[in-house]
Amino acid sequence: MKNIKINKTLATMVVTALVTTLAVAIPTTANASTKCSKESFTSAGKSVSYQKCTGTDAQGSQYEFRMPSKFNGMMYLYSHGIRGNHNLPKIPVIRPDGYVVNMAPEVAPGRTAADAETIAQALLKQGYAVAGSGVSTQGWSIPEAVKANRLLITEARSKFPTIKKVVSWGDSLGGHISQSLSEKYDVIDAVANLHMAGSANSQYTYANDFLWMFKTLFDPTIKGNGYSAGTAGYMEYMGDITKVLTAFGTIQAAIAANPISPTWPESSKVPDALKAIPVRSAVLLIGLLAGVPVQSNTYDASSGPAGPLETSFGLAISPALGVFENAFTALALALIGNYDAEVRCGGVIFDNTATDYALRLGDNGDVYAAGLSGKTATAGMLAYLNKMNPAAPRVTGTPAALDCIKNKQANYSGKITVPTITISQTADQVTPGGFIQKFKDLYASNVKSGKAKPGLLLNIWNKPPDTYTKFDAAGKPVTPALPTTGTSHFMYTNKDLLIIAKMLATAGKTGKLPSVKTAEAAFKKNPNIFIDPDYKPELMFADR
Amino acid sequence: MIRNTRMKRFSIVSSVVALGAMVLTTVPAQAAEPGLTSKEIKLGISTPLTGTAALSYGKIPGAMKAYFDFINANGGVYGRKIKLVVRDDKYLPTLAATQTTNLVLKDGVFALVAALGTATHSKAYAAASLATKKVPDLFVNTGFSGFGNRTKYPTTFTVLPSYAMEAKIISKFVKDKFPGQAVALVAQDDEFGVDGVNGFAAGALTLTSKTLYPQSSMTDARAKALLTGLSAIPGKPVVILFGTTDVTALIFKAAESLNLVSKFTWIAGSVGGDSNTLLALGVKATTIDGVVAASFFPDAKDTTDEYVKAFSKINAKYNPGVSFDNVVLQGMNSALLTVQALRAAGKNLTRAGLIKAIESKGSKFASAALVPLNYSATSHIGYNGYWMGQLNAKGELKPFGGMLSVVTTDSTTGPITPSTFKRPSLPKNGIPTNS
Repeated sequence: MKNIKINKTLATMVVTALVTTLAVAIPTTANASTKCSKESFTSAGKSVSYQKCTGTDAQGSQYEFRMPSKFNGMMYLYSHGIRGNHNLPKIPVIRPDGYVVNMAPEVAPGRTAADAETIAQALLKQGYAVAGSGVSTQGWSIPEAVKANRLLITEARSKFPTIKKVVSWGDSLGGHISQSLSEKYDVIDAVANLHMAGSANSQYTYANDFLWMFKTLFDPTIKGNGYSAGTAGYMEYMGDITKVLTAFGTIQAAIAANPISPTWPESSKVPDALKAIPVRSAVLLIGLLAGVPVQSNTYDASSGPAGPLETSFGLAISPALGVFENAFTALALALIGNYDAEVRCGGVIFDNTATDYALRLGDNGDVYAAGLSGKTATAGMLAYLNKMNPAAPRVTGTPAALDCIKNKQANYSGKITVPTITISQTADQVTPGGFIQKFKDLYASNVKSGKAKPGLLLNIWNKPPDTYTKFDAAGKPVTPALPTTGTSHFMYTNKDLLIIAKMLATAGKTGKLPSVKTAEAAFKKNPNIFIDPDYKPELMFADR
Repeated sequence: MIRNTRMKRFSIVSSVVALGAMVLTTVPAQAAEPGLTSKEIKLGISTPLTGTAALSYGKIPGAMKAYFDFINANGGVYGRKIKLVVRDDKYLPTLAATQTTNLVLKDGVFALVAALGTATHSKAYAAASLATKKVPDLFVNTGFSGFGNRTKYPTTFTVLPSYAMEAKIISKFVKDKFPGQAVALVAQDDEFGVDGVNGFAAGALTLTSKTLYPQSSMTDARAKALLTGLSAIPGKPVVILFGTTDVTALIFKAAESLNLVSKFTWIAGSVGGDSNTLLALGVKATTIDGVVAASFFPDAKDTTDEYVKAFSKINAKYNPGVSFDNVVLQGMNSALLTVQALRAAGKNLTRAGLIKAIESKGSKFASAALVPLNYSATSHIGYNGYWMGQLNAKGELKPFGGMLSVVTTDSTTGPITPSTFKRPSLPKNGIPTNS
């Protein structure tokens, strides 16, 4: 688990940050004005030359495309993942260096900028063009991104009429953009979506469910939703970040001090009877009720330190710590995403007035009974989260804002018309596998009704190793230096990305997906990749 | 031209016919079934080989493999040898899901056998898409009545009587044999314990005290505090321990330490009452002497029983160095059921055929148990009864009061009735010949 140290001066920083807060970069709305320059790089002793073209489209989106001198006729169009739409001060863990809204285009995926450049150069070397847009608005901005990509294709083709094929790929929200573009316009020949995001409503419900239960149990003074307009709202938003980090850090310290019976944070207002339950059980419960995976970068939900605690740690403690490690990202997504989305949609985008959280537990109440400290404790916590409890007021959404988030974000519909590949982690805490299951269901429904052709979707999964949690000599869990494959929301390795790129190119050229056998063979040296059409992750709660 | 066209058509038709004939003659009918060749049937088991639960159940796969090796040495099942792939799940739900998925996807097994546990297997069943893939899920070692939901678990057959049945039968036993005594229940606070609690309620047993504890939460200190509290109850209260063997051992050792063993009449549920495991966990022989327990098998130390005798012999030859006990008996019995099921499905073995064979013929399978098997087209629950016995200092379970009394019931409100079941004889030489 990451060691979160809450900076006591956070509140001061937040206030200071207000000076720069509302100075969000406003892109120009000039028409496309592409400028190209000649560039080159050396790979394996050979010089590869290309033209680098940049500009800003009519919508105000910055774009870039690179055309190799030995072009083979195909262009990769990349869509980047979600970026914050508001500046942030330096915030421990979330944004240690602060954040200024980034409008720059990216032309290839990668864990780091250097990795992305490696991928771009590998494709250029093979004769492919690469392209990407920065998009005029950040946050959840699929409509703008789809439009930007379409304008980019038009512009690139006008400059280089030799572009015959365009394949699209994107990661996370970028995957969703890529898919929406493919469905809406007949300009894409094949698609590869990397840990693709779900619908706006489903993603925000996931994050908000966790945030609401977190605040209800651990600090009811967290606002979470319904921020005021202007500077006052930003102040509330920053205040929430401070409170969430404080509660999170307190729980983390309690777990580190006593993983068996960690205590609740003082900010919690639940009755003492509930506080007698180890707080890790409450964390596990709200994770299960929101849909957070129990496996994380550090915790495999099975292993324990050698010795008397080995089995009980794996059974009762590890799943909770997995949720806790994952939850941090879910909380950050909820806080940052909520604020952006409320500004975008003009009101509260989440509504849980009718949600029956107890019903959601289902079989997980049995499977994780030990981690939840038994059925009696579980029932007590569920009762506290019940909508009849006046101490746990629900969130009422703003009708227009709910309509905005549900119906006006250009969500994909599963009407697949070209070969489409997805690859996702089975234990991804930002885009859990349930989102892909929903996508599969949408596609199956379209096939059934004759709106889509069968055989156009290949789902590839990346799972964690069977067990992977490591412990030091003192029995403390050790967070790995490199991300654990199959977990978290980390980008795939360059090697895997190039395999996917190759599949994508072949699909674009032939109009056909690789067979399961061919796809498996391509990943044959990766024991954690599997393709199983029967694999059916649980749908996210908003999609059920 | 016309002739040429006819010739071409003839040629195409001939080719199709020839191709069809070739397919029919070279590809076995069940070639598409995973884990199945003309020479081998690959089965898989996910069960604890390490961790605390392995102390009790770790011998099951070895016992099953021993019986399969015995069958393989005697011609296999219609000429096919049985291969058992074993994966260690440590009795942990997430790992059980992983290992079951590995058995299906990586190992390519034809069917799963004798998985252990409720939380583990319910998670594994969904994660490995066993229903979608129609993977037969045979003789699961759990008494959780929820597995009887055939919509949710269409390919699962459990083997143990349900915990609710057991609790109902214990309830009647306590009321008959210890009238007027206070009764305290100590049960695991999960689906296993709750299934039992529901059974005690259905059996109308009045509880003076009910303690529910989460799995893995019982400690020596907690056990001592619990017993100290219960010791205040006047008389000789009946204490029912409805949890796993490690917790039964913890409580017994706490009682020894507090000198409270003789204060109570102890009843251990079938899951937590294995005498060998209790002794291995350090419980004194004098403590288990007199403990009441429920069982549906003959005692593994009863060498007059024909099943025990035959299984002991097979164990000595094919599982050398492993002592024969109740767990080995249980494992071999599951293997015996598996072989009969495979035979009942016929030579043209398919996954669907195997499930249908158990539904139609499973209730007649030979088995060591003293209670009937309950399989049918509408029930995938295995045994449905118990007998009550008393452990002696050697760990042998003898019929309570000296007379074996087997009773049968259901998981809900049905009556508890004496069983008229007559156990089928052991197949000749221990080798099934059913079809």
